[in-house]
Amino acid sequence: MTKRQTFFTYLVVGPFAIVLAFPFYFALVTMFKTDLDLANAQHSPFLYNDLEGNFHWDFWNYATTGEVTFLFTDTNFPTWIVNTVLVAAAVVGITLLLALPAGYALARLAGGWGQSAGVAIFLVYLLPPTLLFLPLSRLITNLDLKDSLWSLILVYPSFTIPFATWLLMGFFKTIPHELEEAALVDGCSRLSALVRIIFPVSLPGILTVVIFAFSLCVNEFIYAFTFVSSSEQRTISAGIPNDLIRGDVFYWQSLMAATVIPAIPLALLYNAFLDRFIKGFTGGAFR
Amino acid sequence: MTDTADELVSPSSALTREDLLKRGAAAAFAVGMFGGLSEKAFGFAGPHRYTHRQLAGELRIMTWAHFVPAYDQWLDNVYVKQWGEQNDVDVKVDHINNAFLYSTGASQVAAQSGHDLFWFISPPSTFQRQAIPVTDIVQEVSRKLGRMAKVARKSTYNPRTKQFYGFPDDYAPDPVHYRKSFIEEVGGSLRTWEDVRRAAPKLKAIGHPMGLGMSNEIDSNMLLTSLLYCYGGFIQNEENKIVIGQGKNRTGAIEALQLMRDIFRNGMTDEVFAWTAASNNQAFVAGRLSVALNAISITRTAENSGNTALSDDTWLASIPRGPVMRMGNEHVMGVYLIWKFAQNKENAKKFLVDTMLGYREHFIRSQYYNFPAWTGAIQGGFKTIRQMTAQDTHKPKGKYTILTTIAEKYTTNPGFPGNTTPVMDEIFNTYLIPQMFAEVAQGKSTPAEAVRAFDRKAQAIYRKWRNRGLV
Repeated sequence: MTKRQTFFTYLVVGPFAIVLAFPFYFALVTMFKTDLDLANAQHSPFLYNDLEGNFHWDFWNYATTGEVTFLFTDTNFPTWIVNTVLVAAAVVGITLLLALPAGYALARLAGGWGQSAGVAIFLVYLLPPTLLFLPLSRLITNLDLKDSLWSLILVYPSFTIPFATWLLMGFFKTIPHELEEAALVDGCSRLSALVRIIFPVSLPGILTVVIFAFSLCVNEFIYAFTFVSSSEQRTISAGIPNDLIRGDVFYWQSLMAATVIPAIPLALLYNAFLDRFIKGFTGGAFR
Repeated sequence: MTDTADELVSPSSALTREDLLKRGAAAAFAVGMFGGLSEKAFGFAGPHRYTHRQLAGELRIMTWAHFVPAYDQWLDNVYVKQWGEQNDVDVKVDHINNAFLYSTGASQVAAQSGHDLFWFISPPSTFQRQAIPVTDIVQEVSRKLGRMAKVARKSTYNPRTKQFYGFPDDYAPDPVHYRKSFIEEVGGSLRTWEDVRRAAPKLKAIGHPMGLGMSNEIDSNMLLTSLLYCYGGFIQNEENKIVIGQGKNRTGAIEALQLMRDIFRNGMTDEVFAWTAASNNQAFVAGRLSVALNAISITRTAENSGNTALSDDTWLASIPRGPVMRMGNEHVMGVYLIWKFAQNKENAKKFLVDTMLGYREHFIRSQYYNFPAWTGAIQGGFKTIRQMTAQDTHKPKGKYTILTTIAEKYTTNPGFPGNTTPVMDEIFNTYLIPQMFAEVAQGKSTPAEAVRAFDRKAQAIYRKWRNRGLV
């Protein structure tokens, strides 16, 4: 890439990066602000200010870690993170366990009605969660799973599996039949061909499913809030808005910290698989 | 085939970053899911929490996340534990953001499953078919503490069924918060609503507008209904019939709407139409507002922020007087319901009675936010309460004593002079009152048209609940 090309690349990408990173910057600044600095409308919200509203280069002397400490010592935030990871891991596992064979079967083995069945399964995903709330709520009550992470582990796959099945079905269809046939001729069983040939080339699709299922578990609010009542059993999506807003009082610094802190490992995790995603999305599933 | 496979699958003996992530996640999951099993070795019956004693039962309580976190900590870790030990009951308290109380209550009703005791921030009379009457424990407490405060009685008693559908434990007065220096600067006063009308443009001119909400949230509901009382624009009469569209009530409502339109046009900004319940608090604490109506969370937040310039300048006052009266709604009316599907009704009743009999500590721990529904819960009644509030050390000294006057004389229930019927509850929860005021303030309706439209909707709601036998 020439210097000129590099310059134009950064010229285009730079503003996007700034816009996208700005909310994180704002949250990062806010989480260390003192109450006096934060509450004063005359002070710049993007910098640390002294009592008169002036900026100093030794800004750390005008910031505080008190609210972040509060988040970890006086709330159940660490527990919410652990709960979220547990639920997400379980849901991702269940989703892959069921959607992978289902997607493959619909793509390869179901014949003409496979496509229709795939669309029908996808339509299930389009049902608004609010409509499913009542029957699922009764189900959770009858199973005595209320106020337990298991309620979410049971319910979330009902959203993730239809979409994942439909998505994977599409990925499997892009893989030439000849690959499996060659594997079968070479002595592989169908299961072995699936595991050794099809799944590896479908990795971008599988990772997309993982991201989708994981993100849903992190973001979902309605079920996380209504099925789980106790603070120590909540996930972050329900715990943060519930415990860090008390009546009329918003714990802004802690809210910002609670938003930024889980985002950092998630960003690193997604980045670890970034090359796979790019390959999958830009180059197709098959090289 | 082999070549292709080699190309597609690239096994490696080295531990890649993906392997590391996978193994780490699997280990964390296993530990998280099953690591705590030993703690659950008691099986389905649950642990015997108190040594050598068989639990008499359980009690699950849902309440709000109090704006004083220390109150919740005391409630959960001290009060409830002690009560549980004394009564051999395993008590669990869950707290939720007050904005989610109503919807969570509705979801529990829909699922016919949830907590034994559910606390609401305003009288939840639309739920009364889903709750057991608590007249027996109301009478029991009244025998020991004297009469229930009128605001609490009118909020929870249904004259049609002749039952108390809910158990009130506390209410919060709704004082005017104002910046003394700003009011003095413009030479204004907040004694009457006419004074407020005159002061509004001057305060806006000095960059500190008033903050009187007209939005779909509880503070706006409380304030604007209070304004209707002050002008005699009562929504319902003592027999709980909708009368806002008739005679003097209609005239009073129109005058109240005109007043609010004037205050908005000359003394406020558009933001009041999009406020949440926390907005007036935040704008006041940020130093922008000169006047707001709210419970004392504003002053307490200002005090806790360390901004003494703000907190020392923040004073409390009674609601301004109108042409007909000086009267305001409570800001919070805490009402417990015992669901019909509750598993532990007797424990719930015992908890409520015991809590009310010892409410003095709750009043103190809540920093004078939770006024007891039975004033007699504090020996000496309002006289003692006045002395207690006078002891608050924050400047200006003695500012909290006005709460006693407001609670005693100028606090009533939504639906005054009638009861807080399901009609009023539905009007509140569909935010018809702020919408009526906003329509007029924005110039979309004349006051007369807005009152007519509101009356039509309120009458329809009344007929619905009349047919259900609750009004």
